[in-house]
Amino acid sequence: MAAEAFFLPVAAAQRFCLYHAPAGVARGAFLYLHPFAEEMNKSRRMAALMARRLAESGHAVLQIDLAGCGDSSGDFGDASWQDWLQDVLSALDWLRARHEAPLWLWGLRSGCLLAAEAARRFDIPAHFLFWQPVVSGKPFLQQFLRLKVAGEMLGGEAKGVMEKLKARLAGGEPVEIAGYALSPALAQGLEATELAPPARPGRLVWFEVSAREGATLAPASTKRIEQWQAAGFSVMSAVLPAPSFWQTTEIEEAPALIDATLAALQS
Amino acid sequence: MKIREEPLCFDCEGERLFGILARPEQPADLGVVIVVGGPQTRVGSHRQFVLLARTLAAAGFPTLRFDVRGMGDSTGAPRDFEQIQPDIAAAIATLQGACPGVARVVLWGLCDAASAALLYVDATHDPRIAGLCLLNPWVRSAATLAKTQVKHYYGQRLLQREFWTKLFSGRIDILSALGELLRKLVQARSRPTVALCFQERMARGWRHFPGRILLILSGNDYTAKEFLEYAASDANWHGLLEHAGVTRIDLPEADHTFSSREWRDAVAKACVTWLGAISARPPAA
Repeated sequence: MAAEAFFLPVAAAQRFCLYHAPAGVARGAFLYLHPFAEEMNKSRRMAALMARRLAESGHAVLQIDLAGCGDSSGDFGDASWQDWLQDVLSALDWLRARHEAPLWLWGLRSGCLLAAEAARRFDIPAHFLFWQPVVSGKPFLQQFLRLKVAGEMLGGEAKGVMEKLKARLAGGEPVEIAGYALSPALAQGLEATELAPPARPGRLVWFEVSAREGATLAPASTKRIEQWQAAGFSVMSAVLPAPSFWQTTEIEEAPALIDATLAALQS
Repeated sequence: MKIREEPLCFDCEGERLFGILARPEQPADLGVVIVVGGPQTRVGSHRQFVLLARTLAAAGFPTLRFDVRGMGDSTGAPRDFEQIQPDIAAAIATLQGACPGVARVVLWGLCDAASAALLYVDATHDPRIAGLCLLNPWVRSAATLAKTQVKHYYGQRLLQREFWTKLFSGRIDILSALGELLRKLVQARSRPTVALCFQERMARGWRHFPGRILLILSGNDYTAKEFLEYAASDANWHGLLEHAGVTRIDLPEADHTFSSREWRDAVAKACVTWLGAISARPPAA
């Protein structure tokens, strides 16, 4: 079954969506939340490959481009974290109007942060599929800002760049990083969010990848997983040998991640 | 003017391609197909193609950007820029199907998509193609890369005081440094042996293309530098950049993907001006 592309109307704007109908009656309904800025472009192929395989194995999948991202309306610089949370709700309304199957929020990188916060904020009963989750917004934002600092250093200006960036954001001004205008409203929302579990427990499938054979989860990940377990989630986690496809120079595929994800859902 | 964006799905040799058409309220007779190259999708680095398509459509030019087979949302196996001519042909047909008033088409491409656009006109002589908008065209081979490195990297280092200080203080292994330079020089002088490599077909496409060409080059980009070196030194390219139909714009500060609003806007503005000049029936303002 071929995917269906459409624009989902939201307020005075629209969000690009790609819907993959399930083969047969849906066993699960997945909403995919993409990663941040250029990571979204680099991982689009992997998201497409996974979505098609999920659909073939009887799952409905909806991919949404968040406000100011991908093909959706607006500019990246106009988007706020609040807009993105609202987009999650709009997408879920669409998906739940069509499927009663168990809901899964599938995130990649910062998409996991958005999934968890949306579920906490709006009390959404869902299972979670996390791919290489970002566990905390603040260091993630810091890393993104560092792209700018690195760029300025190449241009010979190193001193105080990070401080200046933060001061501008704090003063309500957007900053441009790697071609993306970052608004204070997006930076603040991202900075404040954590990968904390929602109140209603369910299943959590957590996959990371590593170029090293036999790699194990980082302590920060283990700590988060324990937190989700303590909240009642049944957790399956693993580190798979695969490339960091959301940041490689060329487009990379990680078939091991796709196979492991399908296997985890069968169990 | 007002525009509307529409998702379009179309077939290419059995695979399903996804694209977005930016449709002006009053379309010109000239449309644009944005060919996507490198590791990009129809969105472009920092959404360059999304924003460009909106700007071009707002100026009256219907613009289709799409994922080639195996990229982004499109199905199939990935393939490189030398093999996407069927994808380009399918996109042109789709654009004309959706906008029947579009009689002529401009192919827009950055990096190896610029190369793909030239390869397309070389292979097809498609009479619908009125113009090519080429940004930082890709001509890399081992020879061009080595030549550019020798000139821009080693050339720079020879002028650096630090290099000589290190050299005389023995902190650079002279033999290995010289060896590396010599290897690069040999590579730079070697000529490709394959008959009609893609760079030669690009040159042939350019030479015989009856339409107009807009060439946009970034000042801060190896790919653009290599292109200029190659075009200046290879006999196949002799005189091509000076052709009457060629408009050249240099953005001295810009990097390879035009990664700031300022450079993106400069590109979009140049494209709108140029499209207006080659459109037979300019859109109503």
